[in-house]
Amino acid sequence: MNKVLEVKDLHVSFDTYAGEVKAVRGVSFDLKEGEVLAIVGESGCGKSVTAQTIMKLNPMPPARIVSGEIILADKDIVNASEKEMMKIRGKDVSMIFQDPMTCLNPTMPIGKQLTEAIRHHQNLTAEKAHEEALRLLEIVKIPNTKQRARQYPHEFSGGMRQRVMIAMALSCAPKVLIADEPTTALDVTIQAQIMDLLKEIKEKTNTAIILITHDLGVVASMSDRVAVMYAGKIVETGTAEDIFYRPSHPYTRALLKSLPSVDMDRSVRLVSIGGTPPDLLNPPEGCPFASRCEHAMKICRAQMPPEFIPEKNHKSACWLLHEDCPKPQVGGDK
Amino acid sequence: MGDAKTANRTDVNKDVLVEVKGVSKYFRVSEGILKAVNNVNINIMKGETLGLVGESGCGKSTFGKVLMGIYPPTKGKIIYHGKKVMEVSKKNLFAYAKVAQIIFQDPYSSLDPRMTVGSIIEEGMVIHGMYDRKKRQERVYDLLELVGLNREHANRFPHEFSGGQRQRIGVARALAIEPEFIICDEPISALDVSIQSQIINLLHDLQKKLDLTYLFIAHDLNIVKYISDRIAVMYLGNIVELATSNDLYARTLHPYSQALLSAVPVPDPSKEAQKNRQILVGDVPSPINTPPGCPFAGRCPRATDICRQTKPELEMKQGHLVACHHVEK
Repeated sequence: MNKVLEVKDLHVSFDTYAGEVKAVRGVSFDLKEGEVLAIVGESGCGKSVTAQTIMKLNPMPPARIVSGEIILADKDIVNASEKEMMKIRGKDVSMIFQDPMTCLNPTMPIGKQLTEAIRHHQNLTAEKAHEEALRLLEIVKIPNTKQRARQYPHEFSGGMRQRVMIAMALSCAPKVLIADEPTTALDVTIQAQIMDLLKEIKEKTNTAIILITHDLGVVASMSDRVAVMYAGKIVETGTAEDIFYRPSHPYTRALLKSLPSVDMDRSVRLVSIGGTPPDLLNPPEGCPFASRCEHAMKICRAQMPPEFIPEKNHKSACWLLHEDCPKPQVGGDK
Repeated sequence: MGDAKTANRTDVNKDVLVEVKGVSKYFRVSEGILKAVNNVNINIMKGETLGLVGESGCGKSTFGKVLMGIYPPTKGKIIYHGKKVMEVSKKNLFAYAKVAQIIFQDPYSSLDPRMTVGSIIEEGMVIHGMYDRKKRQERVYDLLELVGLNREHANRFPHEFSGGQRQRIGVARALAIEPEFIICDEPISALDVSIQSQIINLLHDLQKKLDLTYLFIAHDLNIVKYISDRIAVMYLGNIVELATSNDLYARTLHPYSQALLSAVPVPDPSKEAQKNRQILVGDVPSPINTPPGCPFAGRCPRATDICRQTKPELEMKQGHLVACHHVEK
C-alpha cells in the first residue's frame, strides 16, 4: 500500500509570555492508503496540535514548527506558503472538527457552502458544482437533499451538521481525512451513526483517516493502528490488537485499566493514575510519564527511552523493554 | 427472583430516602409547552446509587435540579424520608439543602474564582450556622484531606488547580454540611479518562465511609454501570426502563435501552468487530408539544399503531420496570 502521509520527528512549540510551550516533541508516524490511524491521549497531550500542524491551521506565530518533516503526497509541506497550503487543504488533506456547530457559516445555506468549497478546487460551473453538492449530501445520507441544501446550519441537528462537515471534507476526494474528535460533541446513538458513516466512506473511497480521540471505545470500533500520545510524544504505536490486548507501555496499560468494563463488579477498584501530566513549559528530561509511573526507575527520570520493538510493527518507548531490564514486571497483564 | 424484588421497591418502607411521586416539570416556551420531565415515579433507597442515563436533552439534568429543589415541580411531589421527613417545597428548601447537595458537571464554572478554596468549602457551614469558626476551619482541613487534597490548599484559589482537583473541591463543598443525599450531575464528563477513575474511586469510598445515597446522572454508560446499584433510562422526559444495573445490561428490555447500550463502543477491538450494533435512525425529537403515544415510537424499530396512539405505562415486566407495549409480562 502506498504511503500517503509521513510525519518525521515533528517538533511544534508555542511562544507564549510564560515561555516556550513544547506541545509536540518529536512525533513520527506514517499513514497508508485506506488505513485508519487513531491518535489517542488526554487533553493537552498534543494530539490536536499534531493534526492542526499537518493542515497548517494553527496560527504562526505563536505556533512554530521547530523542526521535522511532513511529507504529504511526496512533498514536504513544512515550508509551504499559505498560498500553496490553500491548494493542498481540501484537495490532499481535509479535516472535520469536534464542534459542528461552530464550523459552518451560520449566514449561508448549506448547499452554497458546499458549492463554494467545490468551486475553489475544481473548475466547475455553478450548476455542476451544485449537482456535485447534492450528490455529496446523498453520500452522507442526508434525506431530501434538494430541500436541505437550501437550509441554514441552525436548521440542522448536531449529527446532521457533522454529516454536512463530512460532505464538505470529502468534496475534493482528499487522500487524507483528519477527524479531530468527530463524535465528542454528539450523543451515543448519533455517535454510532457517524462512526458507521465514516467506516462506509473509508471502504468506498479508500481515504486514509487520522482519528483523533480520547475515547478508547471509539478507537476500538474503527481503527487499524493506534498511536498513544503523552506529553507531546508518541509513547506507543501498534495495531489495535497490539494496543488493546498486548499493551507494553505502562501509560497505555494504566489508561486501559482505568476504564470500567461492562462485566466489572463494583468491588473491583478502578486503577487510577495518580498525579497529572507534566507542564510542557518545562518538560522533564527523561520519560514524561516517569513521575506517575509505578515502574519508574532511575534511568527513566534521566533519559528519554528510545523506541523498543516488542513485536513486529509494535513500538513502545519505555526502558522496561530494554534487554537488560528484568522482565517479570512487563507483560500483557490485561 | 431477588432482582424482581429489588427493582420494584414501590411500597414505601423505611428504606426509602427520597420518594418521587408523579413529578413533572414543564417549561412554557414561545412554541408551546416543553415537557422536560414527565410523570416520573421513583423511590431512591437509602445508601444506594441510582444511575440516571439518557441522551442530552432527555431531561435528566432538569430532573436532578427538580430533585434538588432548584426548580419547583409543575406536578407531583417529592417526599424526603431522611433524619427529618419533609416534602420538598419552597418552604422547606433551606432545611432540605442541609441534607441534599449537588456536585456539578463543570468544575471550572461551579467554583467562585474570587473565593479561596477554604471559604468555598466553609460557606455552606456558615449559611447553615454549623459550628464555631475554629471548628469550621478544622472541618475544612479534614474535608480537604478526605477528598485527597491537603490542608495547605485551603488558602489557594480555584484557578491554581487542575480539573480533577477542582472536582475534588466540589465534592468537599458538597460534603461540608454533612448531607445524606448527593446528586452527582455528570461529575466526571469534563475530566480526562485517567482522572475520571480517581473521582469515581473517591465517590465510591466516600459512600462507604459516610453512608451516602447518590443519584448519579451521566451519559457514559460503562461508568454508570460500574457505579450504580440500579439504573433508570430516560427518554424525552420519561423513565422508560428501571432495573438493577447487572440486570439491565444482561437482559435489556426496552427497545430504546437496547439501542442505547448497543451504541456504546467498548474498548475491545474484537468485541467491537463482532458486535451487532443497532443504529437508530433520526434524532431525538423535540420535547415541545409531543404527540400522544410512546415517546420513542418515531425511532423505534418495533413501533406499531398502538405505540403511536397510547402511551405505555411504566409497569413491572420480567423483573424490570419498563414502559413498552411490546415487552411481554
